[in-house]
Amino acid sequence: MKKLIAVAVTAMLLLTGCGGGGASSEDAIEKYGSDTLKVYNWGEYIGESVISDFEKEFGVKVVYEVFDSNEMMYTKLQAGDAYDVLVPSDYMIERLMNEEMLQPLDLSLIPNISNLADGVKNLPYDPDNTYSIPYFWGSVGIVYNQNNVDAADLEAEGYNILKNEKYADKIYMYDSERDSFMVAFKALGYSMNTQNPDEIQAAYEWLMEQRKTMNPAYVADEVIDGMINGNKDMAVVYSGDAATILAENEEMGFFLPNEGTNLWSDAMVIPANAENPKLAHEFINYILTYEASMDNSETVGYASSNQEVLDELSGEGGYFEGNEAYLPRDGYDKDEVFEDNQVLKEQLTQLWIKVKAGGQ
Amino acid sequence: MKQFRNMAYPYIVWSVIMIVLPMLMILMYAFTQKGNDVLTFRFTIENFLKFFSDPIFLDVLRRSLWVALLTTVLCLLLGYPIAYIISQTSGRKKILLVMLITIPMWINMLVRTYAWVGILQDKGLINTLLGYIGIGPLPLIYTDFAVVLGMVYNFIPFMILQIYTSLSKMDKSYLEAASDLGANKVESFIKITLPLSLPGVISGITLVFLPAVSSFFIPKMLGGGQYVLIGNVIESQFLTSGNWNFGSAISLIMAIIIMISMYITKKVDKTGQKEGGR
Repeated sequence: MKKLIAVAVTAMLLLTGCGGGGASSEDAIEKYGSDTLKVYNWGEYIGESVISDFEKEFGVKVVYEVFDSNEMMYTKLQAGDAYDVLVPSDYMIERLMNEEMLQPLDLSLIPNISNLADGVKNLPYDPDNTYSIPYFWGSVGIVYNQNNVDAADLEAEGYNILKNEKYADKIYMYDSERDSFMVAFKALGYSMNTQNPDEIQAAYEWLMEQRKTMNPAYVADEVIDGMINGNKDMAVVYSGDAATILAENEEMGFFLPNEGTNLWSDAMVIPANAENPKLAHEFINYILTYEASMDNSETVGYASSNQEVLDELSGEGGYFEGNEAYLPRDGYDKDEVFEDNQVLKEQLTQLWIKVKAGGQ
Repeated sequence: MKQFRNMAYPYIVWSVIMIVLPMLMILMYAFTQKGNDVLTFRFTIENFLKFFSDPIFLDVLRRSLWVALLTTVLCLLLGYPIAYIISQTSGRKKILLVMLITIPMWINMLVRTYAWVGILQDKGLINTLLGYIGIGPLPLIYTDFAVVLGMVYNFIPFMILQIYTSLSKMDKSYLEAASDLGANKVESFIKITLPLSLPGVISGITLVFLPAVSSFFIPKMLGGGQYVLIGNVIESQFLTSGNWNFGSAISLIMAIIIMISMYITKKVDKTGQKEGGR
C-alpha cells in the first residue's frame, strides 16, 4: 500500500512539475527538435533569473557557459565546440562573418526586433541584422574620484590626463591592447582603426612613456572592485562597469573625453555549426522582451538594446537616473567602432606585451 | 608476469594521446609559420629568432628565472626549519601540523591568491590597519614583493612536505650512533640529517621551481598586468593574439631550460648522496 501511495505521489509531482508553468520538454522537442540550448556569453553578463525564466517558459534546458575575451571564445569555437547562441563584440562578429562561421538569422522568428533601441540600429558591421541582434552597447571612458581629481584637468587634458604626473601611481589602465591603444590613438588625435605605421609607433611610445612616468596598474575586471573601494583615483573603464561603480560609490564620476571613444556593441549570433538554431532564435527573441532586457540591464549595468528599458532605467525614478555612465553618447563624430583587422591586431598585441614587460 | 605486462597497454595508449601527441604538436607549431593559401604552413626558425632578437623578451625570461629562483630559495630557507620541527614532534601534534600545512591546499590556488589581493590592496586589510597607527598607505600590491610573497605562499607546502617525508624516513639510529661517538647536535645535523634529507630538498626544489617559473596568474593578480613573466607572454600568444606558433616556440624554449635545470639538480642530488656516505 505504501508503495502505491509513493508511486501516486511521484506521478502527481511529475504531472504538476510539467503542467505548472510554461511548456514541457516534450512540447519543446516537438517544436524545436531538441530541448537543450547551449549559450556562450561573457562572464557576469546576464540578469539573475533570465535563464531560469526562459527554461520555465519554454520547457527547455539551457547549458550556459561564459568567456573572458572574444579571442578566448574564438579559440574554443575554432576547436570545434558547438554552441547555439554566442554574444561576441562588433569586430569579432565582423571576423566571424568574413570567415563564414555564422548563419543568417530568420528575422520572422524574432518579432521583438521592433524593440531595438535607436542607438543599436544599422550598426556598421551588420546594418540589416542579417547575422546579429544587439545585446548590450556602450563606450569606454574615465572613471575618476571627484574628491581627488580636478574636473578642470579632465576637461582640459582629455585622455592626456592619464599622463599627468600629479596622478602618478593612482591610475588603472585596462589590460587589453584594444582599449589601451584606443586611449593612446585618441589622445594623439588619430583614428583608433589607423594602419599608419608612424601613428602606431607614436601610440606605442605614448603608452611606454605613460608606463614609465605614471606606474599605472594594468587590470581587467578587478577595476570594478578597485574603484568601488577607492583604491585609485582614475581608471579607464567600460561604460557598463562604470555605471556599476558609480551606483556603488558616490565619490566617483564618469568622463567621456572630447577626443572620442570606442562605441562598441555586443550582439547575439548563431554559429554555423549550431545544433539547435530554432530554439536559438526563440532565445534571441526572448532576450529582447521587456522583462529579460530589464533584468539584464539592471543587474549588469550595461546599456540595454531595448529602447523601453533604456528609457525607463535612465529616466526619472529609474535605477540609473543621473548616472552619467549608463547611457552611451550618441552621434558624436569622433567616436568610432572597431573594425576587424587581423594584421593590426596581431601587431598591437605584440606591442602591448612590450609595453607591459618594458620599463621594469 | 607477462599477463600483467599486457595490462600496461591502455596506459601507454593514454600517455601517447595525452602527453606525447601534444608535445609533438607544440614542436610542430614551434617550427612552423602560418603560410599562404597554397601551403597552409611552412617550416621556419623565425619564431625562435623573434624571441632571442628582442631584448624585451630576453628581459622577461631573465626576470622569470630570477623570480622563480628567489621563490625557491625562500621556500627552502623557510620550509626546511618547519619540516625539521614537524619531524621532531610526534603523535597527535605531528598529524595536526601536517594537516595545517595541507589544509590550505584543498582550497583552489586562484581563490587563495585572490585573498591576497584583498589583504595587500591600497585600501586593503594591511593598509587599513597601518592607517590606524598613522603609517601608509604603503604600496604593497602590484610590486615584486607581492608577487614573490604570493609564490612563496602558494608553493611552500610542496617544499615542506617533501623535506618532511625524507626527514621522517630517516633511520634515527644513525643519530644515536653519532652521539655515542661524541658528535654534538650541530655536527650530527650537518653530517647526518642534512645529507639524508637532501633527496627531499632536491624534489622540493623541483616541485617549487617548475610551477614558479611558468606561473602566470600569480604575477597577473598580485603584480598587476604590468608584471609580465614568461608564462604571461605564452598565455597572451595563445589567448589574445592567437599566434600559436610563437607561443609554442616560447613554451619549447622554457621546456628546454627546465630540462637543463632538472639535469643539473639530478647531478647535485647524486654527488650529495655520495657525500652522505650511502
